[in-house]
Amino acid sequence: MASDVHPQTGGETRRWLDIRPLARNLVQRQSWFIAFILLDLLIIRAIQTDPILIETWDYIQIGISVTIQITIVAFLLAIVIGIITAFGRISKNIIIYNVSTLYVELFRGLPLLVIILIFAFVVTPGVVDWISGSDSTGQATGLPFLDDFIQRLIGIPEEDVATTALRSRDIDPLWRIMFAFALTYGAFMSEVFRAGIESIGRGQMEAARSLGMTYFQAMRYVILPQAIRNVLPALANNFVFLLKDTSLASVVAVSEISYLTRQYSSNRFRYPEGLLVLSFIYANLTIILSMGAYYLETRLHADRRES
Amino acid sequence: MVEREPIIRIQNVSKSFGRVRALRNVSLDIYPREVVVIIGPSGSGKSTLLRCINRLESYEQGDIWVDGIHLSHKATDINKVRAEVGMVFQQFNLFPNLTAIENVMLAQRVVRKRPYAECERIAREQLEKVGIPEKADVYTAKLSGGQQQRVAIARALAMNPKIMLFDEPTSALDPEMIKEVLDVMLNLAKEGMTMAVVTHEMGFARAAADRVVFMDKGEKLEETTPSDLFTNPSHERLKLFLSKIL
Repeated sequence: MASDVHPQTGGETRRWLDIRPLARNLVQRQSWFIAFILLDLLIIRAIQTDPILIETWDYIQIGISVTIQITIVAFLLAIVIGIITAFGRISKNIIIYNVSTLYVELFRGLPLLVIILIFAFVVTPGVVDWISGSDSTGQATGLPFLDDFIQRLIGIPEEDVATTALRSRDIDPLWRIMFAFALTYGAFMSEVFRAGIESIGRGQMEAARSLGMTYFQAMRYVILPQAIRNVLPALANNFVFLLKDTSLASVVAVSEISYLTRQYSSNRFRYPEGLLVLSFIYANLTIILSMGAYYLETRLHADRRES
Repeated sequence: MVEREPIIRIQNVSKSFGRVRALRNVSLDIYPREVVVIIGPSGSGKSTLLRCINRLESYEQGDIWVDGIHLSHKATDINKVRAEVGMVFQQFNLFPNLTAIENVMLAQRVVRKRPYAECERIAREQLEKVGIPEKADVYTAKLSGGQQQRVAIARALAMNPKIMLFDEPTSALDPEMIKEVLDVMLNLAKEGMTMAVVTHEMGFARAAADRVVFMDKGEKLEETTPSDLFTNPSHERLKLFLSKIL
């Protein structure tokens, strides 16, 4: 290829020796990352050596898996909800359009904290009552089949399933708030997907339809792959926001990292240590996430890469 | 002339965009193996007419039959009709997330349900036919306009259509690329493909057209052979149009 020939040195032979572009790129574009890594190493060293920080880390670190679990499950649910709602928002069917718009506006309008509280203390008990029936002491009277199914799902001993009804205190707070996150982020992400679908020119749909594809085939094979690729940065943004928002789950005593930090810090009166470890964990999780998103983006944009 | 059934029958079709009458009572028959070129000033409804044939555009009045299938009949599966009618657009409309060969393979796989190996074989054949087999694995953004339009033609041909519609296929191209696309179209015409072509390329009309249709303001004003069109244009507006572009 002609472009391989370096204009100044005039040949390919010296090209591998020239690390100046690499160094320039590293300094100009990656200095923030180097600084971040250095700071990280400093904190890791402290956590490994300082006895108080070791104790802090051991206490809080247990919550990392819970934080990640909420983030990933809620995000996957939100993607599904988001895509379905996006189709509702571009639908010509007035009922589908209005129902999905109402959902989006409602969940975007309420603070996430409020939605979490509603789901934990209103929706979950309400649904449980509806399933188990008003008399929740013995046999379920509402929807016995669903009642038994959920009881098995949450691990009620098999011999008790038939004779007892579901109680709302059996439902783990983790699952109470999962839907609060999924529905809130689903509403945000439906707008992202809608914008993505609308960003694809009309010609793409026309070309696909002119070849005999149905509307859904055209969406599935032509529009959505391009739309999702275009909205990837926005999706990654939402993922990071969601990860950080999981700290709100601490208000209903879900033992994720923020909850454990508050517990630890107030018990031992060690706020600086607790918050240092907490910030350390969040910062690293989000950085790893951003880098993953960046990698995915460059991979999916194969056609824009230099060949 | 031998008595034949038209493969496309357009009868008294009218359409309007809001207050603008895009088509007024247009009728046109296209016979198998025929090349019909539609010319006219911009806004004359020629693209709209072409897009009505595969119902990318709906029409309010009149009837269209494609290969014996009545388009405005309720029971008509438009996707089946479209699979038999290839279309080439002014803006190419290739799928930018796919390579050239993947563009040619996609509809074969999804619509025709052909096995992968067969799709690939047919796609390579078609790319060979339009003269760019070496670009098979290149993403479409890396191709020149002329190459992109030729991939678009290959994509339509891979479905083995009975009819090809060309909607100003060379209007978005640089002058030096127009010929490579027209050459592909001329070859196609020679092979006996039924073609309806909206274009401003009078050279193509002269060389390949069996009939030329002149449209203005949504009306079909003239339908004649290319030699008659250039030597004795009858209609006043056609004379004016030809004097401007020739």
